[in-house]
Amino acid sequence: MSDISIREIVPAALAPATPNRPRLLVIGTALASAAVIVGFGSLLSFYVRTRALWLASDSGTWLPSGVNIPLTQPNMMAITLVFSLITVVWAVASMKSDDRSNTYIAVGLSIMFGFAYIAQTAYLLSLMGLPIAGDDAGRAPLFFAVIGSHLAITGAAMAYLAIMGIRSLGGNYNAKDVEGLYGAAMFWFVTVALYFAMWYAIYITK
Amino acid sequence: MSDGHSPLLLFRCEVQELMALTETRPDDTASDEALSPTQSVAGGLLGTADHVAVGRAWVAAGSVFLLGGLVAGLLAAVEHADTGGFDLVNNANTFTQLWSAGRVFLLLGGVLPILVGLATSIVPLQVGSAGLAFARGAAAAFWTWLLSIGVVILAYAFDGGPAGGDTDFVVLWALGLVLVGVSLLWAMVTIATTVLGARAEGMTLERVPVATWGFFVFSVGGLLTLPVMIAELVMAYLDTKYGYLPTAESRAGLVGVVNTLSIAPALYWVAVPTLGLAVEAIGVHTGRAIRFHKTILALIGLLGFVAYGADVYSFSSRGRSIALDNGLMVVAILATAVVMLAILAAAGDSVKGGKPKLTTPLLAGLVSGLLLVLGAIVAELAQIDPVVNFINKNFDASINLDDALMLNGTSFHEGLRGFILGAAIVGIIGGVEHFAHKVWGRTMNGGLGAISVLAGAAGTLVWGVGGVGAGFAGQPMLPAVESGVDSTIEAFNVASLIGLGLLVAGVGIFVLNIFVSLIGRRGAGTEPWRGVTLEWATDSPPRRGNFATAPVVTSATPLADNSTDGEDA
Repeated sequence: MSDISIREIVPAALAPATPNRPRLLVIGTALASAAVIVGFGSLLSFYVRTRALWLASDSGTWLPSGVNIPLTQPNMMAITLVFSLITVVWAVASMKSDDRSNTYIAVGLSIMFGFAYIAQTAYLLSLMGLPIAGDDAGRAPLFFAVIGSHLAITGAAMAYLAIMGIRSLGGNYNAKDVEGLYGAAMFWFVTVALYFAMWYAIYITK
Repeated sequence: MSDGHSPLLLFRCEVQELMALTETRPDDTASDEALSPTQSVAGGLLGTADHVAVGRAWVAAGSVFLLGGLVAGLLAAVEHADTGGFDLVNNANTFTQLWSAGRVFLLLGGVLPILVGLATSIVPLQVGSAGLAFARGAAAAFWTWLLSIGVVILAYAFDGGPAGGDTDFVVLWALGLVLVGVSLLWAMVTIATTVLGARAEGMTLERVPVATWGFFVFSVGGLLTLPVMIAELVMAYLDTKYGYLPTAESRAGLVGVVNTLSIAPALYWVAVPTLGLAVEAIGVHTGRAIRFHKTILALIGLLGFVAYGADVYSFSSRGRSIALDNGLMVVAILATAVVMLAILAAAGDSVKGGKPKLTTPLLAGLVSGLLLVLGAIVAELAQIDPVVNFINKNFDASINLDDALMLNGTSFHEGLRGFILGAAIVGIIGGVEHFAHKVWGRTMNGGLGAISVLAGAAGTLVWGVGGVGAGFAGQPMLPAVESGVDSTIEAFNVASLIGLGLLVAGVGIFVLNIFVSLIGRRGAGTEPWRGVTLEWATDSPPRRGNFATAPVVTSATPLADNSTDGEDA
């Protein structure tokens, strides 16, 4: 048994540990995400309710004649966004390991998946052939409002992730502080979750 | 707290050099960028991100729009009181525009921004933070709101808004309101984040002051409520422009949006911070700290929860009838009244055991609290019809209700709105006077303050009674205009007009008081009211970074000698 006591190893007068920096960005992102979920959820529920009203009023089919919603593109978009979840988690995990090279690759891939989603949505809308305005537009503005809102949210998530990626590049974040990337990842997850709600309400149930 | 001592000496918080808010800080003078950003070179309002300055701007601008909204409402009431025809405006559409302008500016231009402004200024001080979270974002939110309100005014000026004749400006009105909602949302994110993430060491959530807790619940409620309004605006805009609905509701959709946030129970959301301010004022101005601190925090949280629930039920009732058949609304409305009463009763302990000084904040706190409870009790009357419907439908009963008690869809809800919003306005007057020393470093004139509170309270009572009475007499909810109504309804409409006139006078004096104090003598010292929460340990107005050293608190009343530690007795 050694004569050295714990008191000699750890001085009694050792300063207390510095408190962790409050995760303001994460908290703020969570609150903003809650608002985005409520707002997009409201839009989606208005869409579903209007569709129910339309069908109940015996005004004909919900989709205008000649308009069809193919399922291939929505499903591919879902898969793309699921892939993006993996890359976003990869970005956070590599930042936690101070592995910046992997962080940049993962952030870049996530943003690329975001662009791919936007491109696929544009292609889907062109396939659907919904007129954006005019007498034949009918319910088209509703589709564009909901889908467009999600595109805007996706754009915001991409910008958030890009900014946090650049800040990581600039050294603002490191293995001890991944707050920025963590917040961006949280918002990305919310964006993808909202897509799945939209996928079911608009593309699947049609 | 004993006399003759500097408040800073009485500051019982332990002071330590270690900064509680940052992980690493090069030196004591450096500040956390997220919490206390560098002020612009100009140092003026346009470039500042100082939370007190931004809050001051919200309060000053909101007060002006509050007055504007009340004047628009007053003009609509003048038109409505005379049922013989249109005198002030040309037709029903213009009347609807005037009526909606009153609602929009009163709530989204006045009451909400002032509450946000007070929270922006005060919350960081009360929780012992060096600043507001995302302070630049808060400043951007203010300027976006101001610009958006300008857009809404422009839209009204060019025949936009609900029932407007120019579709382009109707659309502009909707866009302006969307931006108003987004800016208020962003401001609320900063407030809630500050409460959750930037509290001083030792400041647990159960130790935060009642006013801050009220603002927190209010902000979270806003995050869950305003996005629905924004979504409704988008949908109403689409309906206006493209008419996608099976039955063309057209611009009626926009009227619905205006109504949604302006009638109870949605308005109970506004009651939450008002009650927080009332309890805070009661605790300070009676010289006896609130004894049932944790209980009151829990009740305020419950009120926010129930009010939001009631809010959701009212949204779900759109398109059917306001009467609900599931009983949830009835329970929610009943609960709000009970909770409000319990909060006031708990705060009443300070009045009973303390030494009340009849200051404007105390008067406003008591009066606004009582008006809110009165409004919540009156709201119960509207539940008789749904309850009877529920019983008839589910228990195979056949209870016949007198027509006078079928209040849903009548201007009864206008009266209810009068009670709730009027109480909120009176509470705001008291709250602004209570914190004026911190917000702009000057005290306000107590005489003018008392007059504005009394005029506001009398106006609220008469406005509320007028609307409720007209509802019992069967007057449909505004903006429907009926001609040839009976003299009873006309009398109640005149009462509403007089009530609104008194409220305009009260708010007018309040705005005057603000500007008189702004150009008046700067206050000295730190502690005009002998409060026991952290904000009273700061300079007036607070220095940059608020506190010389980061406070560490050990109780809910850190400046009091005999701390109750916030424990319930």
